[in-house]
Amino acid sequence: MAKIGGWVGKILRVDLSTGKISTENTIEKYKDYLGGTGIGYKVIWDEVPIGTKPFDPANKIIFSVGPLAGTGAPCNGRTAVTTLWPTCWPKPLVASGHMGGHFAAELKYAGYDGIVIEGKADHPVWLSIIDGQVQIRDARHLWGQGIRRTTIEIARQLGPETSVAAIGQAGENLVPMSVVMNSFSHSAGGVGAIMGSKNLKAIGVHGTGSVYIAGNKEEWEKIIKLHLSLLGASNQNVVPNKPQPWAEYYAAGSRWVASEGRRWGAADPAIETGACDPHHLNRIAYRTNNAAFFLGEGAWRYTVRGNGCTACPIRCHTMLKVPSVVSKYGIPEIGQNTCLGLLFGRLFFKPPPEGPKGQAAIEACMVGMALADDFGVWCNYGQMQRDFVKLYYNDTIKSKLDDKEFKSYSWEKYEKDDPSFLFELIPRIARKEGELGTALGLGTGYLLERWGIPEEEWMKDDSLWYWKMGHPKHHSNDDAGQCGVIVNTQYNRDSQCHSHPNFTRNGLPIDVQKRLAAEIWGSPDAVDAVGAFTPMNIYKAKMAKWSVLRKELHDSLSLCNWMGPWVASPLKERGYRGEDSIESLLYSLATGNKKSCQEMDQVAERIFLLHRALTIRDMGTKEMRTRHDTIPEWVFKDSSDKAPFTKGTIRMDKDDMKIAMEMYYEEMGWDKKTGAPTSVTYQRLGLGKVADELNKKGLLP
Amino acid sequence: MSHQNEKCEIFERALDFICLSHTFSRRDFLIISGVTVAGILTLGTSGGNKMPVIIMDKAEGMLIADPTKCVGCRRCELACTEFNDGKASPATARIKVNRNINFGPKGIYNGQRGQGNWGNGLITQDFCKQCPHPVPCANSCPNDAIVVQPPTNARVVDANKCIGCKRCQKACPWEMMSFDSDMNKATKCFLCNGTPKCVEACPAEALGYVAWRDVTDKIPRRAIPTA
Repeated sequence: MAKIGGWVGKILRVDLSTGKISTENTIEKYKDYLGGTGIGYKVIWDEVPIGTKPFDPANKIIFSVGPLAGTGAPCNGRTAVTTLWPTCWPKPLVASGHMGGHFAAELKYAGYDGIVIEGKADHPVWLSIIDGQVQIRDARHLWGQGIRRTTIEIARQLGPETSVAAIGQAGENLVPMSVVMNSFSHSAGGVGAIMGSKNLKAIGVHGTGSVYIAGNKEEWEKIIKLHLSLLGASNQNVVPNKPQPWAEYYAAGSRWVASEGRRWGAADPAIETGACDPHHLNRIAYRTNNAAFFLGEGAWRYTVRGNGCTACPIRCHTMLKVPSVVSKYGIPEIGQNTCLGLLFGRLFFKPPPEGPKGQAAIEACMVGMALADDFGVWCNYGQMQRDFVKLYYNDTIKSKLDDKEFKSYSWEKYEKDDPSFLFELIPRIARKEGELGTALGLGTGYLLERWGIPEEEWMKDDSLWYWKMGHPKHHSNDDAGQCGVIVNTQYNRDSQCHSHPNFTRNGLPIDVQKRLAAEIWGSPDAVDAVGAFTPMNIYKAKMAKWSVLRKELHDSLSLCNWMGPWVASPLKERGYRGEDSIESLLYSLATGNKKSCQEMDQVAERIFLLHRALTIRDMGTKEMRTRHDTIPEWVFKDSSDKAPFTKGTIRMDKDDMKIAMEMYYEEMGWDKKTGAPTSVTYQRLGLGKVADELNKKGLLP
Repeated sequence: MSHQNEKCEIFERALDFICLSHTFSRRDFLIISGVTVAGILTLGTSGGNKMPVIIMDKAEGMLIADPTKCVGCRRCELACTEFNDGKASPATARIKVNRNINFGPKGIYNGQRGQGNWGNGLITQDFCKQCPHPVPCANSCPNDAIVVQPPTNARVVDANKCIGCKRCQKACPWEMMSFDSDMNKATKCFLCNGTPKCVEACPAEALGYVAWRDVTDKIPRRAIPTA
């Protein structure tokens, strides 16, 4: 390669046990793994011994970004955080969390494509990174403080532009359900306690360097503008949620919520979103308001503006200003987050149509954000809250707590949906106080084990969303039938994959989706209308493979898989087509290493195969199909007992799913009986040495 | 044109300006008077060591920014440097958002009670005012490297002349001079020759390109956050 762009060239290694700080060459060592989770899995495979526990000093935590982080490629703000996962039950396995914000970009501008944290400091420390200057600094004065205080104190030392990724009390206290958080509201769940176990309170980073674009700058500008033109709203929803003058279609469930008459009511002065014609690229930021999407029309009047990550015009974090919470709860009037972070507090109460509504729901969200995002507590995609509701209302909590502890909670407040109850609960989770606080902080798998509740009970209750291994579904059959189910079997935590719902839930009518699906996956039969599913076919397997690979590709390039891929667009003149090769176009121009769409997918496949190999190695079995890729019972049930593949149900059929898994394994080049990748597949993707190692352990099919 | 001739022409242009029928405010008059005196002094010692006082044509256009609309995505900084320089480099961007993004222009002293993502949400976009005379960056340059460039009459750095001394950085009251350490040259907003990339890149219509007006006495100097 002539000129190399994209990557900034160095991986930072910090050994907290010895204090040694070193660097290695990204391109020499990790080019075949791109960045992000690719680097993360590679480090864990090469360097973390089998049998290591998450909180052992031998575990490593890798903060890594890819060649597109810090560039102007839209939606590149995410940092992958890879480690042995503390809430993965019954045995911790590799997984990754993903935080947005400005950390990824600042890390690149400081000159690093990633940070590998090793060992354990003998006292609390934080890591200071200002361009080439890296120091391990004393954090004893910060230990015990929340994320907000920690960030402010570090920014005071390093300057106001610094991006600080910090843990709260939950991470310090080794609560597995804990986050690391940067840029006020951007967190990676599950990894706070890994930092805590290493006595690492925070990483502060600011850089004044550059990310170079290897290709021609005019070409780069063209491709960026193309990408921008294809964007929808949050989750790549490409039609508005109510009729607009410009729109041929609308879909009530769309996150494209801008419209004439809707406005950011708490902006000063208020700002009308307008109709947001997709051709008006200077109004992309107004399309999305996830507070209004999740909390209803009432949220508009409290909306200050959208917020989000570096270089992303889709502002999926909504900044809310709710003055009433200052006097009522003594918390700041401004709060911001998205999706489950936004709903953190609301979800502890009974779900709609019961539970807090309207203003009360918004206040519960404000209190939840103020507490969880400071103490650094993780929700596991709302699993903690769903568990809590279930365990309270079936009297399990009462039976597991001694009388004194049970009475120390104001349950009458809880039952009246009073958000002030959260002040009693969330800090106790962060501090591991009492039986309830401790148990909730363990994560679902370990909580059920501690309280002697069989996992099967959780796997048959669809209201709990529980999938397996301590974690919930994340866009499964409810959004994409068999494809969604397959994707949800593949990871060691919730799948976090949005490739499939960002297509099936994009709001386009099913006939348009089918036309696009034929072009992308070879047949219109790859997709069904949600709730009108048809039996499995090979094109659904191709879509499932594509979904998983694009997730890994995004997590390694630093593109947001909550926004991508971009295979559909809001543009009628394009027939609503997107661009399946946008990732390879961006990558090729940024790095100067030209790769086709198929070649990029092959790199993604290598990365995901390494994840599979790690899972097999650390589980010590090749029986993936029966022991890992499991499907909870609720997927095969319907509350009205509707038959699978009839209208109005998301129920799947057991025999059909068996066929589905086999078709998927075949697409992946994995053994159909065990679900373990074959030696040929490892060789094909350049992981021959990985296959050799597995072979020695009898872990090849 | 030689260096000396250029100075003479500038002086002549200033004299023309004074002789033309022009309604002066009292402030304008004082400034122009000052220029004349200084200009004469300069002329009197031409060829000596004294610095010239540079009088520049006014800019035709300028950026404006609305902090209440900024969503903090930094696409303006990235468009500025990627599309002009082929690199993503907020530190050399000629529009500056990141330094205010967390806590606002007053830095961190206000904690969560100031501006920015950690305060009331307001993000101030710092941009070049394309100052009228006296142009602080141009005046501070020991090598006359900051010049007027048609058609916008933006004040721009002539990279051939810039010697990388960074005096201009210290001179700008709004800290809008950037320094490109790859080139070892100063750089500043040149209005992209009339179609500013940052304006085009903003996804929230928070930036605009408008006819020039003097905002130098309306926008406070940047308070330098030391924390």
